[in-house]
Amino acid sequence: MLAHIPDGFLSAPVLLGTALTSAGALAVAARRSRAALAERQVPLLGAITAFVFAAQMFNFPIAAGSSAHLLGGVLVAALAGPSVAMLVIFSVVLVQALLFQDGGIAALGANTLNLAVLGAGGGWLAYRWLLALLGARFRVAAVTVAAFLSALLTGLGVALELGFSQVVPARTALLVVGGAHLLVGIGEAALTGAILALVWRARPELAAAQPVPGPAVRAWTLGLTATSLLLALAAGSLASRRPDVLEAAAFRFGLRERALHAAPFAGYETVLGWPWLVALAGVAAVFLCGWLLLRALARR
Amino acid sequence: MGFHHLDQYAHSAGPLTRTPPAARVLATVLLAVGAALLPLGAWLQMVVLGGLVLALARIGHVPLATLLARSAPPLLLLALASAAVLVLAPGQVIARVGPLAVTDAGLERVGSALGRGTPAILAGVLLISTTRFPDLVEGLRELRLPLVVTAALGLAYRFLYLLADELTQLQRAAASRNARAGAVPRRRLLAGITASALVRSLARSERVHRAMLARGFTGELLSLHRQPLDREAWRNLGILGVLVALVVLSARVG
Repeated sequence: MLAHIPDGFLSAPVLLGTALTSAGALAVAARRSRAALAERQVPLLGAITAFVFAAQMFNFPIAAGSSAHLLGGVLVAALAGPSVAMLVIFSVVLVQALLFQDGGIAALGANTLNLAVLGAGGGWLAYRWLLALLGARFRVAAVTVAAFLSALLTGLGVALELGFSQVVPARTALLVVGGAHLLVGIGEAALTGAILALVWRARPELAAAQPVPGPAVRAWTLGLTATSLLLALAAGSLASRRPDVLEAAAFRFGLRERALHAAPFAGYETVLGWPWLVALAGVAAVFLCGWLLLRALARR
Repeated sequence: MGFHHLDQYAHSAGPLTRTPPAARVLATVLLAVGAALLPLGAWLQMVVLGGLVLALARIGHVPLATLLARSAPPLLLLALASAAVLVLAPGQVIARVGPLAVTDAGLERVGSALGRGTPAILAGVLLISTTRFPDLVEGLRELRLPLVVTAALGLAYRFLYLLADELTQLQRAAASRNARAGAVPRRRLLAGITASALVRSLARSERVHRAMLARGFTGELLSLHRQPLDREAWRNLGILGVLVALVVLSARVG
């Protein structure tokens, strides 16, 4: 149960939802890459796609006699930007599904969401955030940690899709698939960091071509991250377990039983326990939403 | 070199190979999505959809033995991927294998995953057995996939085997110098080989770009073999769509 979900597992609503989300994300990526790509980058795109495809043929040993291969989302995003990375990874996933039946054809939307949108797009966001925190001198460290986080995001996507499709309970899926992706993430991080360190040493102009966050952005990112983490940890430890006013009313009038769908962290609890984990996830989600909103507004 | 070992039936004359590649891609997606929409335990409908793919393979002159032999590895992978569900899905225990308890819900889910996955895998294998890779990319272009994606796929096809050869050569050279290296040096070596292959790929893409410019490249990839979806292709797709919809509806309503 690793990154490429075959056909036959996912339910119709999950297939439809992931397909629509992926199509939307790819449409945005295609529009942005068309504007960003100079015509000289068309052969570069082909070369990187072929590279990711070939690199995924080589497995590295992880643990318990199992092996995994490079996912490559953060690697490509750090070299060519997030939009190109999403499209490259989608191309690879598409060819793998059509040519080698590695990942389902009907499940293409879900696999694209996990590997291209969450893996490459989410991994790139993590990379930029870490780059702003650590500075350009620690570019390799930032990309290494981002690669690890991107593998975790991919695993989280797979687990939630299997859970929502009721293949296995969400808790089991998170433990099994998330656990496997912890190991995959270690390999992905080591390989991405090592490859990019060597590539940037051989071709320093590739690293220099990327914009680096300025001192003001770094200071803001550092301050906001530290405040968010402190708030999350404090909220997780001090939060009252009793229902709030609205929740109490919902209990009283029996509205909770009529809810259409349960939230992923209903009652501020995770399948793994640990309330501070919920707080961290919530802060990360709000941080991400705010960041994306600010970027969108800044562009206007 | 190329994917010719896979597309060996692409040149056989027949109604399937006469159909535009875009229609073949759409038909494959229809069959895969139809199979995915079947509810758990719709065994008869799963067999019907599988039979429909086999009938299409017969029309395309693809031997049954070839189709099954090519479908075996992905089917095995599907079985291995779903095996854990046998014991992870909560339900009534029907058998015990050592410390593991196989549940009825697990068995139904695994059976359904295999039943829904098999027609999709057969359809995928049929598509690639009867379609050359450049035609497949052309079909995707006809289906209005972003130009960046089809350009990447078209060029990646040209680069892939060069890159695979280069990786094999690098690996062979490294193996001859580190015959009995341990796990850690081997991992370091793998990273070095991969990075070296990436640097060479980037350098090659720059050379290719210069060569393309010399031949009049203006940023647009043109095709000499356009095969748009014609009226007959739409009619055949419509018939297949109705058949698949009937199979899915019979499972959902019945």
